[in-house]
Amino acid sequence: MSTAPDVRMTMPARPEGVAVVRQALAGLADALDFDPAVLADMKMAVSEACTNVVVHAYEEVDGMLEVDISASDAGLTIWVRDHGSGIQPQVNRSREVPALGLGLPLIAALSDTFELHGSAGHGTEVRMTFAHARESDPAAENPVTGGLGDDGRWDADPSRGTPTG
Amino acid sequence: MDANPIVLDDAAGDVIVVVVEGEHDIYTTPTLRERLDEAIGRGGGIVVDLTGATFVDSSVLGALLDARRRALEAGQGFVVCVGDAAEPGVQRILDITGLVPVLPVISSRDAAVDAARATPNGTGE
Repeated sequence: MSTAPDVRMTMPARPEGVAVVRQALAGLADALDFDPAVLADMKMAVSEACTNVVVHAYEEVDGMLEVDISASDAGLTIWVRDHGSGIQPQVNRSREVPALGLGLPLIAALSDTFELHGSAGHGTEVRMTFAHARESDPAAENPVTGGLGDDGRWDADPSRGTPTG
Repeated sequence: MDANPIVLDDAAGDVIVVVVEGEHDIYTTPTLRERLDEAIGRGGGIVVDLTGATFVDSSVLGALLDARRRALEAGQGFVVCVGDAAEPGVQRILDITGLVPVLPVISSRDAAVDAARATPNGTGE
């Protein structure tokens, strides 16, 4: 990132921080007169990215959640970053709230562009962009595929349908 | 006063309604799980009323799906209702995940109570 973000938040990666990020984002998007539907998608995608940090990044140790937001004429670019265990999230069974595994598919579906960077032991960064105005629904172009697996987690295999039984 | 309350309403008698209002995510999901556990423990049908909810994330969906599975295993009905005009922060995630027919999700609370009372899967089948 070549220039400083318009908003930078750094806080302990704890569940209570996710709503703080969401409210800050909502305030900024309101000031920039974003479409309510885009704002709803932004709040959802950023919440999922922050939740991934809280649940997966640091296992048993404390760590930080970092969120940068930059505004441009085109829209918002949002980075959600940790310095934890890296890009291969595993189910952390020590946490009280197990993950469904839907976070990244939702982020991909709700954002206009989405990038995931990181490596084992060097943390993870999710970069998302959201345009002021959309010509099409990103969820139609990148639909959430798959369904619930037998273990209760999301199986992204697009050949699977969500069981109804 | 809690801005994001989750309360049990047993006015429907044999069907307990878990009323969820405000914004809910990984922070409030443990409370939701406790309320759902309590509702399942009462032995009747369960309705989760999201009419007053303004935001739910995948943590909440995980809690609902877990509760649904346990309720069905116990032979209890399980239905979610969202009212006639669900908030975008609720309807969107239900739509794009395809979970509306799975949970299942319907509009009316009264209809949801009837469905949860009538059949274990709330679909009338």
